[in-house]
Amino acid sequence: MKNESTIIDVPAESSSAMKGKAPLIGVASGSGGYKRGLSIFDFLLRLAAIIAASVAAGTMFTSDETLPFFTQFLQFEAGYDDLPTYQFFVIAMSIVSGYLVLSLPISVVTIVRPLATAPRLLLLVLDTAALAFNMAAASSAAAISYLAHNGNQNTNWLPICQQFGDFCLKSSGAVVSSFVAVVFFTILVVLSGVALKRH
Amino acid sequence: MKSGQAEIAETSKGIQKRGLMSRKIAIFEFILRIIAFFNTISSAILMATTNETLPFFTQFIRFHADYNDLPALTFFVVANAVVSGYLILTLPLAFVHIVKKKTENSRILLIILDVAMVGLLASGAASAAAIVYLAHKGNNNTNWFPVCQQFNSFCERISGSLIGSFIAVALLIFLIILSAIALSRRH
Repeated sequence: MKNESTIIDVPAESSSAMKGKAPLIGVASGSGGYKRGLSIFDFLLRLAAIIAASVAAGTMFTSDETLPFFTQFLQFEAGYDDLPTYQFFVIAMSIVSGYLVLSLPISVVTIVRPLATAPRLLLLVLDTAALAFNMAAASSAAAISYLAHNGNQNTNWLPICQQFGDFCLKSSGAVVSSFVAVVFFTILVVLSGVALKRH
Repeated sequence: MKSGQAEIAETSKGIQKRGLMSRKIAIFEFILRIIAFFNTISSAILMATTNETLPFFTQFIRFHADYNDLPALTFFVVANAVVSGYLILTLPLAFVHIVKKKTENSRILLIILDVAMVGLLASGAASAAAIVYLAHKGNNNTNWFPVCQQFNSFCERISGSLIGSFIAVALLIFLIILSAIALSRRH
């Protein structure tokens, strides 16, 4: 039947003959395989990030030090709660590790259903927010650690690490562990982005 | 056969509608990138032009305050400058996304770079915020004196320049999410 519009001739075949041919969306099964691999890698990275984040929070939380001898300073003990930035650090790392634990089921869902985009998109959004939050906590604690190690002559801020060596060591270690968690988050976000690509 | 033709006409109209949505997302991203650029460049300039010299004598030997005196603020200026340079350089790429159809690989590149820039910017903003908080409040336990009591306008300026940077962090996060949504759409 000819009219003005373009007619695409679809050959009339039975549905059983069509089933023998290659499907129209034939890439689906292939890409599902590699996306599942990406999801498994995502899950393993999440476990590693949980360890990094909780180690950071725990080390900072237990970094108390009491000096056994007299010094010129009135303060003989140092803990994470003496510095508000370190308090923020402990709270933020706890929130981040809690979020990571809660996101493990969503990651499992992306392993089971590799072609679904909604869980991956949700993970990407939450991971980006958690990345920025983690980076903020890590870098503010790093700034305070740098100040505690080196002091600042222009503002007359004395380096406290010369008195509290152990406290400084533990808090700096916690900051380093937190930066490792940031690296993991970066890889997680990029992984989610790559896995979201439709072919 | 006729229903087949009708279905094909329907899906082509559907693809046109979805193409419009994808174009709207790309335009929105372009605008957000421009706004984030203005935020970061103004933060960098505001922080870099802080300069206060006290006109009178105080107990402190120091009469002059500059952003160079605190390493965290120097890092803040550098980070904001780098991110604003990056945003200007990716504006043409964002413009290409509005025009072109097949943008998947460049969007993935943009997501990777945006994530790196979010990390850098959040780091600069947070470390400067920690130092500014210390300058405002001081710390009794470590004998760190609040500097703001002497240097008022310096303190106001460095506090104000943080705001633009934090807004730019939020905008960059939103840009990453938009890129991911545009990636995951069907075409």
